[in-house]
Amino acid sequence: MLQPYPGYPEFEYVKPLSIEEAVGFLKDHPGQSRPYAGGTDCFMLLRDRRIHPKYLLDLKAISGLDQINFGNENGLSVGASVTLNQLCRCQALAEHYPVLAAAVREVGGYQLRSRATLIGNLCNASPCGDTIGACLVYGALMQIVGSSGKRSLALDCFFLGPGKTVLREDEIVSSLDLPLPPAGCAGAYKSIGRNKLGDLAIAAVTALGYPDAASPSGFSFRIALTAVAPTVIFAGHAQEILAEKGLTVESIENAAAEAGRVCQPIDDIRASAAYRRAMVAVLTRRALLSICDQLHISP
Amino acid sequence: MTASAKLPDLVGESVSRVDVREKARGSAVFTDDVQFGPNLLHARIKRSPYPHALIKSIDTTEAEKLYGVKAVATGADFDGRIGLYLQDKHIFARGRVRFVGEAVAGVAAITEQIAEQALELIEVEYEPLPAIFHPEQAIKPDAILIHPDLGEYGVANFIFPKPGTNISNHFKVRKGDVEKTWKDCAAVVERKYYIPHIQHVPLETHVAVAQVDQSGKITLWSSSQSPFAQRDLIAKALGMSPGNIRVISNYVGGGFGCKAGVTMEALPIILAMKTRGRPVKLCLTREEEFFTNFVRQALVIDLKLGCDHAGNLLAMQNTMYWDGGAYTEYGVNITRAGGYSSTGPYDIPNVKTDSYCLYTNNTVGGPYRGFGMSELHTGVEQCVDELADAIGMDKVEFRLRNVVQGGDILATGMQMHPTGIKECIQKVTEAIEWEKPLPALAPNKKHGKGIAVMWKAPAMPPNPGSSATIKLNEDGTILLGVSGQEIGQGSFTVAAQIAAAELGVPLESIRVGGPVDTDYSPYEWQTVASRLTWSMGNAILAAARDTRRQIFEIVAEAWKENPDDLDLINGVVISQKSEREIPLKDFAVYGIPKANFAGWIGGPIYGRGRFMPTYVTGLDKETGQGERAVVHYTTGAQAFELEVDTETGQIEIIKAATAFDVGRAINPDLVKAQMEGGIVQGLSSALFEQMIFKDGVMQNPSFVDYRIATTMDLPTKVETFIVEEPQDDGPWGARGVGEHPMVPSVAAIANAIHDALGIRLDGPPFTAEKIYFALHKG
Amino acid sequence: MSERQIRLMVNGNEEILSVPDHLSLLRLLRDKLALTGTKNGCEAGECGACTVLLDGEPVNSCLVLAVECEGHRVDTIEGLSAEPVMQRLQQEFIDMNAIQCGFCTPGMLISAYALLLRNPHADDHAIREALLGNLCRCTGYERIITAVKTAAGKDR
Repeated sequence: MLQPYPGYPEFEYVKPLSIEEAVGFLKDHPGQSRPYAGGTDCFMLLRDRRIHPKYLLDLKAISGLDQINFGNENGLSVGASVTLNQLCRCQALAEHYPVLAAAVREVGGYQLRSRATLIGNLCNASPCGDTIGACLVYGALMQIVGSSGKRSLALDCFFLGPGKTVLREDEIVSSLDLPLPPAGCAGAYKSIGRNKLGDLAIAAVTALGYPDAASPSGFSFRIALTAVAPTVIFAGHAQEILAEKGLTVESIENAAAEAGRVCQPIDDIRASAAYRRAMVAVLTRRALLSICDQLHISP
Repeated sequence: MTASAKLPDLVGESVSRVDVREKARGSAVFTDDVQFGPNLLHARIKRSPYPHALIKSIDTTEAEKLYGVKAVATGADFDGRIGLYLQDKHIFARGRVRFVGEAVAGVAAITEQIAEQALELIEVEYEPLPAIFHPEQAIKPDAILIHPDLGEYGVANFIFPKPGTNISNHFKVRKGDVEKTWKDCAAVVERKYYIPHIQHVPLETHVAVAQVDQSGKITLWSSSQSPFAQRDLIAKALGMSPGNIRVISNYVGGGFGCKAGVTMEALPIILAMKTRGRPVKLCLTREEEFFTNFVRQALVIDLKLGCDHAGNLLAMQNTMYWDGGAYTEYGVNITRAGGYSSTGPYDIPNVKTDSYCLYTNNTVGGPYRGFGMSELHTGVEQCVDELADAIGMDKVEFRLRNVVQGGDILATGMQMHPTGIKECIQKVTEAIEWEKPLPALAPNKKHGKGIAVMWKAPAMPPNPGSSATIKLNEDGTILLGVSGQEIGQGSFTVAAQIAAAELGVPLESIRVGGPVDTDYSPYEWQTVASRLTWSMGNAILAAARDTRRQIFEIVAEAWKENPDDLDLINGVVISQKSEREIPLKDFAVYGIPKANFAGWIGGPIYGRGRFMPTYVTGLDKETGQGERAVVHYTTGAQAFELEVDTETGQIEIIKAATAFDVGRAINPDLVKAQMEGGIVQGLSSALFEQMIFKDGVMQNPSFVDYRIATTMDLPTKVETFIVEEPQDDGPWGARGVGEHPMVPSVAAIANAIHDALGIRLDGPPFTAEKIYFALHKG
Repeated sequence: MSERQIRLMVNGNEEILSVPDHLSLLRLLRDKLALTGTKNGCEAGECGACTVLLDGEPVNSCLVLAVECEGHRVDTIEGLSAEPVMQRLQQEFIDMNAIQCGFCTPGMLISAYALLLRNPHADDHAIREALLGNLCRCTGYERIITAVKTAAGKDR
């Protein structure tokens, strides 16, 4: 039975002023600390008593973490405490990474997005996180800082399972880097929930198509599936079909079917595995048709 | 009890609500806002993790020792039973637990957190018993008895439990002879539908604060639809006089039925009895609100309906298995209401209804907007649609042919009063353009239209009373005393309107006394059943007339005129004979001096009135027949146009239209607001809502997984219509409508889905997934 | 349980308070400052009844810690009721009968107020999106949306 708790359990609030301080604290208090920025995921875990950290580390006082930087050479860098609403207001995001901009808007309601952070959404590693697919197709790189130094990790390698990432106990993500998207790319984020909007995704597809001279059809594709596997997955075979044949009626159908085949959804109270699988195919098709539209391709 | 013959200006006027200024500013006081100072203690409740188990032992010693704990209570503290129509519930569980979440022990401490910690120190030993989760399981002869002592429970004389079974009520209707009639039917439809549990989801969860003073007098602050019923039920359970309990109820942040009767309010009272005068507050978390308190009963409805070749309904067989849950002290009456209204608003000569209230180990079923009508009509209105199809008749025409009219003898033998149901049907079919075919859409989109009609009577015991008081202030302004609770429907506003209109004073001069306080406010049975405008309204009319009589007696004596020649208009007493005038403020409290101050006439003016229906009769136990089953019926119709995405199963509601015969709309805009809110709650229950249970444990007790309609789920166009076929004993003909707007929604949407796709699901919610698989079978 | 002293602006007033680390902003407002206009509907960031402005942005105060507000500015319905834009909104809500039980109202008004400040001519879709995180069970939302639209200067 879900035990209903009012309010939060006791913990000690710690507010490091630098990354070094944060990382040092985590190292000195292993297994007892939880770093957070927005708190929207973390506090719910606390309220449900699913986590019992002795210390809560608020990263928001660390300078520089609330910055979004865009450069025409290096692309976009999003600090760990950048909120989703900040991202919604970011011109560079809307202009260069429209799929992520669209996905960000689908998270919860406005109030939630005032606090929730992109990095937090990713570190929460929910199988159905709205922003995960878009970050993945744009080739996101996680900049991680730990007591033993810094490392960069492609987002592809970041997730281990529901709620689990590769982060070590003394590591935090300081920023997320998105390289400049491939020239001429077009993408879409298609999700389905139980209401029209505001629900978490019970199945979602993020797709990006871009001109690629190295590819047989002249185009390459990245198709990420969320909410239908323990972690986000690429629909690899679907991507291959499209790279080979390009966007035709037949290849879109085949790709959609392949995406449906590759996912590993579960039955839960939100949806059945069979429905999720069926929706992945539908959403893949719709995402690809949207790409056709944007690239002025008649399949 | 009719009002003044000429319709006063205020009646039919959409005046501004009297409570909204403070609500807009955030200064409106709800129960959790009341300040109690540093002495306030906080309660938390230890709850059963088992759906059915014997309690072997409870050890509270460690909890009692915890610093900050001031009181611990269990079922051992109190053995009284409590219940509105059937006393089957203990305040804290005794001997056994019957549903997951049942209150087993309680702690009052200086902080909520300490109380929570203390709960963990309470050791409870359980012996699990086999549990029943489905009403059709509960009714089997070999089913485990959930209430073996059913025969000992106090019960209202119109409820018929069967001791030795899990049937806590069996209501029957036997009219004509259905068995003999099937062969005469040109078409017969047989269907079984399953309507799952849903919860009311008031934005404000339940909250109650109890304080017991040195003399043993109890004061209870509660977010309640029923301050007087709470006082009464708790007094009976505790063996006290109701005069020793005072219930104070502020604004209610949504009730929808879940704040009627007594649920969690008794828990802090038991704790407060041990805290030597310190008040104890219990607030339910949202999760607790979902599954520990009241929910809407689930229903299995088994229907057989037949008509002749001309489309006249001939026979209905209706068997309803209501999943009453662990305690059915309130739910038994839902069964009864479902029973006597089991035909829906139709004239059917042969009726056989068996309405069973079953105990199960699911969450406790209680009153929910509609009181069984939404669940009932979900079955009936789909069968009516199917039957119309079966004989090739238009569904609207079929309904127009068969709906009840004034003078018809209903299934219980009661004669129907005049009703505007046909006009309701006409209005909504026009609005939805019923005849007009829908344009073709994209290949993956299908369109459909559906309609459903409904009726509901206030479901009450035969003798539910209302009363009202009118107190004049020194300056002629008025304090109107009523106990019809303001739960959002606008009861305070309508009360002021009725009082001002009948008295003859400006609306602004009336203030409605609040919070409702059983020590000072006049008696009102409960704020349920869509009964206030009618019943409380009649009491206010009586009080207004009483006040006018007192006023005119005083002035008549002072002027040496006949009181019959006097009138009160706009706060001024006028003689139609002499044309003399005197404003109320000149004598409302201090009276009128005689000539030359040779004495005084009059004094403080305090009017009172009451209303209680006197004509409701009992119904025969075997046949459900009786002269007058209910006070009246409000009827209505609702229609939807919707679009289905066949690739995903998602439904989008395009248009909605609804109409209700309210007799007289005293405040038309408030009536429309009820209709609009009801449609959205209705479509929410049709498309999204269900309590998902596994072995008696609710799997989705939060907004994350119990979805309700948001701003994005609304129809593009909603039209509401007021029909007025006056009720003979309502204020200027008024009848209630608070519950009705959400009643036909599920059926109307189901019918529209069928129109679009040719499919029917076995019950709501009509989720995208269910629609998808119904379309893509195999 | 130790407490820490925090200093924050609430409705334009500086407040210095002693709070435990795990106290939410919602509970700070209601229990320590008796600002009961902000409501507790779910304590899970889903219903929006606890919406307040934090440095001018609407947030679910149940998902903010009091200690996080050190040095920050909080505005609740009580304080914002003095603002002209809010008053215009409140009047529209009253005129449209967009208030029934009133429990969602303060949160709803604050979300709408913040919307009008950042998007004075918000259209229908923008309004629905901005109010998505505010649940209402009584009104069916439509009048609320109309009230905001009218306050935004768009005629019905």
